[in-house]
Amino acid sequence: MKPPLLTVDGLTVLFRTEDGPVLAVDAASFDVAEREVLAIVGESGCGKSVTALALTRLLPGSASIGGSVSLTGRSLLSLGESQLRDVRGRDIAYVFQEPMTSLNPVLTVGRQIGEVLRRHQGLRGAAVTRRATELLDMVGIPLPGRRVGEYPHQLSGGMRQRVMIAMAIACRPKLLIADEPTTALDVTVQAGILDVLRDLRGEIGMAVLLITHDLGVVADIADRVVVMYAGRVIEQAPTEQLFAHHGHHYTHGLLDAVPNPARHAEGGLREIPGRVPTMRSSPDACTFADRCGSADDTCRTARPDLAPGPAGHLVRCWHPLQPANAVLPADIGEGPR
Amino acid sequence: MSTVELVAADELAATRPAIGARRRVMRRLLRNPLAVGGLAVVVVAVGAALLADVVSPYAYDQTDFGAALQPPSGSHWFGTDELGRDQLSRVLFGLRASVLVAVMSVALSMAVGVPLGLAAGFYGLVDPVVSRLTDTLLSFPFLVLAVGLAAILGPSLTTATVAIGIAQVPAVIRVTRGETLRLRGLDFVAAAVADGATDGVVLRRHIFPNAVNALIVQATVAAPAAIIGESVLSFLGLGIRPPDPSLGVMLASAQPLFRDGPWMAVIPGLVIVAVTLGLNLLGDGLRDALDPREAPR
Repeated sequence: MKPPLLTVDGLTVLFRTEDGPVLAVDAASFDVAEREVLAIVGESGCGKSVTALALTRLLPGSASIGGSVSLTGRSLLSLGESQLRDVRGRDIAYVFQEPMTSLNPVLTVGRQIGEVLRRHQGLRGAAVTRRATELLDMVGIPLPGRRVGEYPHQLSGGMRQRVMIAMAIACRPKLLIADEPTTALDVTVQAGILDVLRDLRGEIGMAVLLITHDLGVVADIADRVVVMYAGRVIEQAPTEQLFAHHGHHYTHGLLDAVPNPARHAEGGLREIPGRVPTMRSSPDACTFADRCGSADDTCRTARPDLAPGPAGHLVRCWHPLQPANAVLPADIGEGPR
Repeated sequence: MSTVELVAADELAATRPAIGARRRVMRRLLRNPLAVGGLAVVVVAVGAALLADVVSPYAYDQTDFGAALQPPSGSHWFGTDELGRDQLSRVLFGLRASVLVAVMSVALSMAVGVPLGLAAGFYGLVDPVVSRLTDTLLSFPFLVLAVGLAAILGPSLTTATVAIGIAQVPAVIRVTRGETLRLRGLDFVAAAVADGATDGVVLRRHIFPNAVNALIVQATVAAPAAIIGESVLSFLGLGIRPPDPSLGVMLASAQPLFRDGPWMAVIPGLVIVAVTLGLNLLGDGLRDALDPREAPR
């Protein structure tokens, strides 16, 4: 078996704040294989974005990062700042949530894509514009030759997100990290963006780490899913397996909370009671115990490990669900189409 | 409506002809009548200052005691002073001094203030040092600073320029630092860092260009202040010395003769007001025209 592209082992992120320490990521471990789309899902505040930023140390100075991250066998967290800058944008590229504010308003689109090309590929002069135009074409922007000279305010949100993707793939990265890439967009535009990501993954042969809370997007594009809760990875499975045979009560709650027209008659939307707790340190307990209907004394006094559950994939739960408790992908829908 | 149509509508949402940024700014500036007025005044003033040797009817230091203290007339449009020197010629050369001081002092304050402001806004460790320096500079009254400099350098155009330039450094630092702090937190800066941009590139390509608008506004406030500052310093004998002309020198020498020759004070005063107002109007117009987010109409 080929070694994974990205290996994250025991990644821990602790923020020093005025109210004391906040443990944002608690010993998260996962792999991303070459050309794989791995989704990290969870509620706001579960640590998924922090995990993504921590991979190339893009966090503010108040964060301390532990554990190890290695890309094709090279340890990233021990690199110096200038070596990391070479990795960012060239080997690991990011696409962020807000296309409306992620582009510099005073530079043309071509110029901004050009910055990355100049920085990492040493292109100069007309070659920069030519390559930038090609990239705009690759992400499905019509009339790329004209768009390349336009300013961000002349583009719509969907097109700006395509420009962000064009910048991200400019150096054919091995891994594209997309943090909620479709959240700020209309449903119809979302579908187009997901198509672009899917196509590019084939064309460039890159892996995608997709951060999202949209299970429709996950069902649409992800090969494998990591579920995070309160900084911990609580379940990890291939997408179909997760939808069909999830083992964690939290995952069940997430899937159950997806609006489903067939169930509306029975009493509307479901939710998980309570809120995601903010962790100060890593408790010797299941972090979901307070919100879980099946929690008992074991859950509150002992830390469950991420271990193979009844359905065969990794689950962090003392009382995992049996494979019978399935929500079929068909109930979730095929993504935003 | 089908999905395809919706997607197409999104892709074509903004199909305007792409025109050059500079032309667009000019077009928007020229649509604003106040800005055009200000631009006209500034162009005339700068033109007159540059061409003072060519357009002056007399030499600025040519005396004619037979025609002393003449009110404005056909042969002396702005009248003459107590030595019979042509006031129009002296105003033109005085304007040259004023423009020179304004341009050089603003350039000096930007050259010192912008890098310090960028560093203070971008690097948390530098910030307290630069901010204390700013406070220290601000605690010096402008005139005390100018007197001190004049004592070292002797009163001259250079002294006035340096004194005014240094006095304007704190404002430039504060504007630049504030803009840097604001811009540093924006998504496109974070995105550039995530693409591997070095600090230099972030500052040069992403933060500075977005701070330029604020700096242009700062310059259009500082330039008229510099012209007035030059007048004040020359009036007090700390800047340009007679017989060399400057608008402030003219005001100073007109003061004791105000009852006999009010034009000697009123005309240079009006020129100062006109140039100051023109620069302010131009600055306002430029600020509006430079905002790239405002859709071209």
